[in-house]
Amino acid sequence: MNKNTRFWSVLLSGALVMSGGAVADEGLFGYVKGAEPLPKGSWDAEQWFTWRGGKEQGSYNALDTKTEVEYGFTDRFSGSVAFFGLGINTSGLMIDAYLPGDKNYPWRPAGVEAAVKYNYLTPALDDFGLAQYTSLSYFWYDVNSGFRKNVYSFETFLIAQKYYLDGQLVVAANLGIEADSATRQPIQNLPPDFEWPLTPEMEIAITASAGITYRVISNWFIGAEIFYQTEHETVVGQERWSLQAGPTIHYAARDWWVTLTWMPQLVGGGTPYPGQTYNQQLIEKTSQEIRLKIGINF
Amino acid sequence: MRPIPAFVLLPAALVAPAPAYAAEYLTVPQAQQLLFAEADRFVDAAVELSDDQRKAIEDKSGVRQRWKKQAVWRAEKAGQLLGWFIVDEVVGKHEFITYAAGLTPDGKVRGIEILVYRETHGYQVRNPDWRHHFEGKTLADPFKLEQDIPNIAGATLSCKNVTNGVKRLLALQQVVLR
Repeated sequence: MNKNTRFWSVLLSGALVMSGGAVADEGLFGYVKGAEPLPKGSWDAEQWFTWRGGKEQGSYNALDTKTEVEYGFTDRFSGSVAFFGLGINTSGLMIDAYLPGDKNYPWRPAGVEAAVKYNYLTPALDDFGLAQYTSLSYFWYDVNSGFRKNVYSFETFLIAQKYYLDGQLVVAANLGIEADSATRQPIQNLPPDFEWPLTPEMEIAITASAGITYRVISNWFIGAEIFYQTEHETVVGQERWSLQAGPTIHYAARDWWVTLTWMPQLVGGGTPYPGQTYNQQLIEKTSQEIRLKIGINF
Repeated sequence: MRPIPAFVLLPAALVAPAPAYAAEYLTVPQAQQLLFAEADRFVDAAVELSDDQRKAIEDKSGVRQRWKKQAVWRAEKAGQLLGWFIVDEVVGKHEFITYAAGLTPDGKVRGIEILVYRETHGYQVRNPDWRHHFEGKTLADPFKLEQDIPNIAGATLSCKNVTNGVKRLLALQQVVLR
């Protein structure tokens, strides 16, 4: 093992150890949440890494991190707190009100979240599982531009999950709504005609997602996910929408699990930025996304 | 030989060193002794099920008969049939759970033993308190979690599949072991 390989192996081992744990509320999917409850008294933590890249023009790469710890208060009710980070490297593209210029930093703390989850029905016990997830979050960085922006969000969504073939095949779906209040922070030396409003904005997004995964051999699940999001503003109505879909692979051992999902944007709509030719929502989203989730049980 | 690049080793390192965590609690002979302590002989009576038999088992139990072959032994004492000892596997959350059931000749559960359990939660399925709920059950019983069999939080799928599995074995006995 050469020096470079050893460095990455040590780093990875550290990440696995430090990333906390989870399994009962195991992330079978990268984007779709499951309805399995976390047992009373159990702790569960997850570390997410999401790479977002490609806006057709210029260069855009961003890495979101999420570190979450969840606790089961009862066999049906759990609560979690999460801490977000952002690394970004973008250049060569400016979009009025959204991308005010180049930005490059490896990683910064970007936001926090508190969430609760309640299970009305349990997938393995009832005919299907039904849960509700509700969260409040605060971000002090705009994950799209990497610039300062205060964003307060409230999100709630329903989670349905059903087991087939004794649990070997799992189907899950989420339907939710998110309300954001965002205020951009002043930026010096913007071009005189560049639009960068500093008044608070409200936005509502509706998301619908679904996933199916099959345990091909012990411990290994392979599946696919689809994620639709539509964003609305009071003035313009539906502002933009996007549809992502892709494969997901999941491995679970006794004390930890890992999920890798590739979610390219298949199609999107709404107002494109000037000069955009792709039929995608690229103002706030990217062409490609890859998410790695790691959970460790304790 | 050229060294393997780090970008190849990284994903491999994520998944390859999966620790062997299967807990083998009992061997088949040990489970046989626990469920039929008075037996002096266990006669291999493995069955190979036809499609019609699997369908009949599913109709009687409401549970899919996944396996075509089922490991079965006749538990005997002085040549007399004490009951049937059956080893079965059901789907756990991540891997199969291996368990054994002892059935009386008249179609009652004598007991169950967990041989191999590999899941994160739910090791309580090995506790006698939980397993005792199966004793004396017949195919006429509901075999429903939180009704006649208690659930174990965090291991609901395992509990459900073991419960369904025992019911299926009672149906298998009716279909092929009479």
